[in-house]
Amino acid sequence: MNKAKQIRDQTLSALPFKSFFVSMLTHDIKLEDAILDLLDNCVDGILRSKKQDGNMPYKGFLAEIEFKPDLFSISDNCGGIPWNLRDYAFRMGRAHDFEPDVLGSLGVYGIGMKRAIFKIGRYCLISTRNDKDQYEVEIPKTWFDDESDWNLPVRSARRSLETDGTTVIVGNLNPGIAEQFVDEKMFKTGLERMISTNYAYIIDKGFEVKINGDPVKPRTTKIVFHMPSREEIPGIRPYIFKTTADGVDIFLTVGFTRPIPSQSEILDEQESIRYSSIDAGWTVLCNDRAVLYCDRSEMTGWGEAGVPRYHTQFIAISGIVEFCSDDARKLPTTTTKRGIDASSPLYLQIKNKMREGMRIFTDYTNKWKGREDESKKQIQRGARLSLTEIKTESQRLTFNATKRSIPPGDLYKPELPLPSIIEPMKRRISFVKEAAKIKKVAQYFGDSDMEPSEVGEKCFDTIYGEAVK
Amino acid sequence: MSGPPYHLRANKAADRFALIEAIRRLHKLGVELEEYTYYGLGGAYLEDMRLLYEYCPEIAMISIEEKLEIFKRQNFHLPCGTLRLENCSVKSHIAQYEPNDKKSIFWLDYTELHYECFDDFITLLTKLVIGSMIKITLRADPRDYWYKSRRIQKEKAEKFRTEFDTLLPRQFVDLPRQYEDFAYLVQQMLEIASQQALPARANPLTFFPISSFYYSDGTWMFTLIGVIWPRNDKVVVEGAFGDWEFANLTWARPKLIDIPDLSTKERLHLQQYLPCSSPRGVTLRAKLEYLIDEDIPKTESALEQYAAFHRYFPYFLRGIP
Repeated sequence: MNKAKQIRDQTLSALPFKSFFVSMLTHDIKLEDAILDLLDNCVDGILRSKKQDGNMPYKGFLAEIEFKPDLFSISDNCGGIPWNLRDYAFRMGRAHDFEPDVLGSLGVYGIGMKRAIFKIGRYCLISTRNDKDQYEVEIPKTWFDDESDWNLPVRSARRSLETDGTTVIVGNLNPGIAEQFVDEKMFKTGLERMISTNYAYIIDKGFEVKINGDPVKPRTTKIVFHMPSREEIPGIRPYIFKTTADGVDIFLTVGFTRPIPSQSEILDEQESIRYSSIDAGWTVLCNDRAVLYCDRSEMTGWGEAGVPRYHTQFIAISGIVEFCSDDARKLPTTTTKRGIDASSPLYLQIKNKMREGMRIFTDYTNKWKGREDESKKQIQRGARLSLTEIKTESQRLTFNATKRSIPPGDLYKPELPLPSIIEPMKRRISFVKEAAKIKKVAQYFGDSDMEPSEVGEKCFDTIYGEAVK
Repeated sequence: MSGPPYHLRANKAADRFALIEAIRRLHKLGVELEEYTYYGLGGAYLEDMRLLYEYCPEIAMISIEEKLEIFKRQNFHLPCGTLRLENCSVKSHIAQYEPNDKKSIFWLDYTELHYECFDDFITLLTKLVIGSMIKITLRADPRDYWYKSRRIQKEKAEKFRTEFDTLLPRQFVDLPRQYEDFAYLVQQMLEIASQQALPARANPLTFFPISSFYYSDGTWMFTLIGVIWPRNDKVVVEGAFGDWEFANLTWARPKLIDIPDLSTKERLHLQQYLPCSSPRGVTLRAKLEYLIDEDIPKTESALEQYAAFHRYFPYFLRGIP
């Protein structure tokens, strides 16, 4: 047997291969999420710039996203990258003893900007101005090819920025990215939808985001709030719970956003190709950022502990739960910040309250089945309020302190109107007919826009009139 | 749908002729017309098939009709032996459609505006082979969403947004009120639908627009013609259709078809001056020597429309059967 060669004592390099590092960093992140990471940096910049107090703390701050088949850029006026934060901004990851410099920062792990840039392309120019610091960092294509060089050149800004802010330009787009930008309208529609939901509450509070020149409108949830002259009169108002736990302020509200659907509407929805419930369900905010938008799954309590699984019958029910903390690490989000950590003890406790609130409104829809028209009048009496407006209006309500619940807090449970008892001798008539025939009969009655249920009822009343003559 | 009988609608007739013109140009892509099969929703009188047989008899045709009584009526009006009738819904037909490497021309002639129409369009685009053509016609009448009650108007806009959420180019609060703007919105939705069906990162083929119009014969409609071709070969499509007067190869705003009411005598009189140089409306007004609308600008605009579409506008004459 041959004798094995002995390798003498020496050292091995365990330095990461740049190409491996870059590909692992970007492998599982979608392009849209990478762009949201860049927006998160804008928001961190706003927090660093000391955003204003009041209802519009992000007013005056702007991020402009531009994309073409060969280029991507994002420019903002959100304060720029201070020179003393260069390590956090440009090194991969962050030091173990690094403390966030801003309260409430969304960024925790120090990889968002780099990951986004590497996802999009192989050339980048970052120009930034922060108070007295103004500089540029260029990542040329050759940097990716040189395994030994982990340094990035910094130079004085060649083009002076007018305000404190940052511009990131990415070129030499990666395969697959350029093709997504080629489908400009489709990509813009999808990105706009993502930003309008994820950033709904930040945009609603004044932050401006533009995509190729077009401003993004926020998609916020508005809940019906009817405040009669006396609070004890039953009215359509949301369930509200608020508390502070371990440095996290929590505000939860759930209610109706619109009248409950009629039986024919539910049937139409079930036969339709597209689910139109896009605005129903729970939105979870962490430091103003929506980490779950209109969720209708077990993640937010549907189908658990007495709450029915989501169904078109509940299309009118929406809730918002807001978590705010100066320390983002205490928020119940996943590492990607794009979802909820379902195992977070804090979130599990709040989920109990979410379910409790939902049961009140799912129960209402069951009680008013078949009497949706009456219910519609009640719901239309109330105004649809934003989260900020609900917080303001709710100050007029009487809350109960729940000391023994976990977590303890202040609770408002609305007393919703109950239907008067239906005479036992009434029966429901329900049947299915061809849509074209229903329209024909509606035209015969002189109104082609009649709802199918109205057509059925009029047919019955007409024939009944004949029958009793 | 309100308006004159289907086969007597002037603007629709012009739109139909535009399709024939586009089909006749397909050979410039380097293909043969006999390779194609035409699929349409011919209606009781099979008007588009009758016309196609006149101009392109080499194309095999299939009519799709869901309603049994209209199917029977179609059987009565068969214009030729190369037309096959099928009694089924469009959705069902598209679901079962297999190109088997053969080129097709589809006219999805809808009378309403529903998400299902876009779904059919997307499904079909994913199946069609290179060189195939699709024409899609949709209801695009902003008056459907005008209500005196601001609350109902907002509800209708909200319902529209919810139904077409994934296709809207921009979020909006109010729907466009102008006919052209509404037609352009529908066009942009079709553009997005085509990108969803044939995304650049996954498909070397794309849907190139050829032409688009909006018109009314009582109800405002939008119509788009396009062809499936390799996205890196746009120059071939431009070569085939670029010199066509009605080409829209860049997803620009749709053109209006609004042919004025002229008597046969007036049309025959103007015929001798066509084609004429621009501005055509001014030239023709001078030949008529009177106004056909409220004022000079409206008359010239109407006559410009006539000059543009006169070759596509049939003569409706009373015949002795």
